[in-house]
Amino acid sequence: MESKQAELELSVIKTIMEDSRKIVCNNGWHYIFWGVVVSIALIANYVMALMSISQNSAGFMWFVTMISASVVSMIWGRRKEKQRTVKTFAGRLLGSLWFAGGISMFMFGFVGTISGAYDAIFICPIISTVLGVTYFASGEIQQLKWQKALSFGWWAGAIGLFFFPSVHTLLIFAIMLILFQTIPGIILNKRYKRELGVSGAVQA
Amino acid sequence: MTDYNYHEIDDVIHSRIRTAIMAVLISVEEAEFTFIREKINATDGNLSVHLKKLEEHNYISVRKEFVDRKPMTRYKITETGRKAFEEYIKKLESIIKK
Repeated sequence: MESKQAELELSVIKTIMEDSRKIVCNNGWHYIFWGVVVSIALIANYVMALMSISQNSAGFMWFVTMISASVVSMIWGRRKEKQRTVKTFAGRLLGSLWFAGGISMFMFGFVGTISGAYDAIFICPIISTVLGVTYFASGEIQQLKWQKALSFGWWAGAIGLFFFPSVHTLLIFAIMLILFQTIPGIILNKRYKRELGVSGAVQA
Repeated sequence: MTDYNYHEIDDVIHSRIRTAIMAVLISVEEAEFTFIREKINATDGNLSVHLKKLEEHNYISVRKEFVDRKPMTRYKITETGRKAFEEYIKKLESIIKK
């Protein structure tokens, strides 16, 4: 084999490898699903608070909603996972990141408040802070600068909600979810569909 | 002129399509047949022949399943295949350096 031929072959190998490594399978469905579910629950909680309905009822509503949504998310996620035509290390990393983030948010939302560690009104800024972390890391993994930028929105919102807690925290957080989660999820989904070939994978 | 010894080149990998297959599989955890086909622009029949050869030499492993009643064939690079491909790349680099 001549040197030039070897160079050419190596160049082709590197191109294919770089191309394949950039693939991230993210259709944005989880972003949309959780954004909508939690926004609705927040608005319902907000209305309950305005109507002075007991916090226990709100807590029960949250517990039922989160458990049901988690089950739906897991079933749908597993189904979509089976349909994928490629599994990547980046995709696995992304899945682990959001799984860990989800568990953390669940703990902050339920364990933290039930234990009396802090007032329930601070759940929103705490979760907003966690979302900032997961968005930043997700953006890095997927090489999406705009997704990394969203993390600053989450953190800025968290600062505001920490310093100015009120019953309106719930409504503000619902709006944040629509702006920083649901809409980005829709953008990711459109991008995924636009670039979707038979492979079912999209380039980062 | 290089003192190239053709015996040192892995014949199993040394083919345009098989090299491309290995390059794809070393970069992902697992890939389905259709994904590989799209990535390297091969026909079904041609790709199948080359995948079979790699499988026979234990460079890749295959898993078949039905998803929503559709057959899916998934491929993964084996440890043997990974080492062989890394060795192949080293050989190419050594040829370039000479």
